[in-house]
Amino acid sequence: MTPPSRGKRAPQPAVTETPATERPAADTTTTDPAPAGSTAAHPTAADLAAAHPTAVGSPGSDPGAAHPTAAEPSGTDPGATEASLVARAQAGDVGAFEQLSSAYADRLFMLLLRLLGDRAEAEDVAQEVMLRAWQGIASFQGRSSYFTWLYRIAVNEANRALGKRARRPAGVSIGATELQLPSSPADDPSRQAEVSELRLALGRALAELPPALRAAIVLRDVEGLSTQEAAEIAGVSQAAFKSRLHQARLRVRAAVGDEALVTAGG
Amino acid sequence: MGVPGRTDDHRWSQQHLSHYVEGDLRPRARRRLERHARDCVDCGRGIRAMRALVYSVQGLDGLAGVRAPATIFDRVRPAGAGGSSSPRRA
Repeated sequence: MTPPSRGKRAPQPAVTETPATERPAADTTTTDPAPAGSTAAHPTAADLAAAHPTAVGSPGSDPGAAHPTAAEPSGTDPGATEASLVARAQAGDVGAFEQLSSAYADRLFMLLLRLLGDRAEAEDVAQEVMLRAWQGIASFQGRSSYFTWLYRIAVNEANRALGKRARRPAGVSIGATELQLPSSPADDPSRQAEVSELRLALGRALAELPPALRAAIVLRDVEGLSTQEAAEIAGVSQAAFKSRLHQARLRVRAAVGDEALVTAGG
Repeated sequence: MGVPGRTDDHRWSQQHLSHYVEGDLRPRARRRLERHARDCVDCGRGIRAMRALVYSVQGLDGLAGVRAPATIFDRVRPAGAGGSSSPRRA
């Protein structure tokens, strides 16, 4: 069971699990804690410099590469299937839970970095996500994939963290200078400059989005998830998710400008 | 006075460029947008801009290859050992 990625999207069941963060005991029962139009805290340039250290863009990295699955972890029980790990975790086996969740840990952490733009905060929220997943694993019934369930907890926790964060001055965000992708060697310097400027502008525009809209564009366009899966993770209907996605794109387009997009991104 | 309906078509098309690129428009709506964009420089460029936006955002942050911190299960381990926060049956 490989986590879906762009170009390799697995069909998902229609019924959505209730993640741990939506249990009655949790104070974030809503799946939409920061609806479109609400104010969002913006990560600062300093946050982002700290958020994305030298590990970013490590050699051989492939944004579309499939991650290891729970059934194919390194150094742990290679014969265990995801279903058996879920069953063991539900019985209280913390080792099985770690084996199950570690297959998705890197991707989940990247999602949190994208949503929060702050490495220290992403690390803190990642720990909280795993704790909530562990506490809620008994309620996981397998109607959605474990990946979808875990990602949904992560989005809820990220939104909660953004809600708590004091509003900061607008800064650059994901896609900022420290996150530039390697340009094609064939590109001439002026072309590289255009692309670099476009990435900066896109990063700023994404940082300005309310959390719900930012999550929509990150899940669908950056992470490359299907609309169905992204909607499940966001905890809304596909129609509502698409509405957010289209709003997000319109806002980003307006902020960046058609000329920059067509010239550098075309 | 412009051509009747033309302003409405333009405004509507501008609002639905993302839907168009996403393939979310029904055939009739799709034809409406394409018919308008053929004669409208702004909307023709808007379609190219929206496609470029979706393309450019993919892999924008260069985060591929980032690893989760080794501490990611730190709150789970004490919970698992102590049992106080262990899985709860629904």
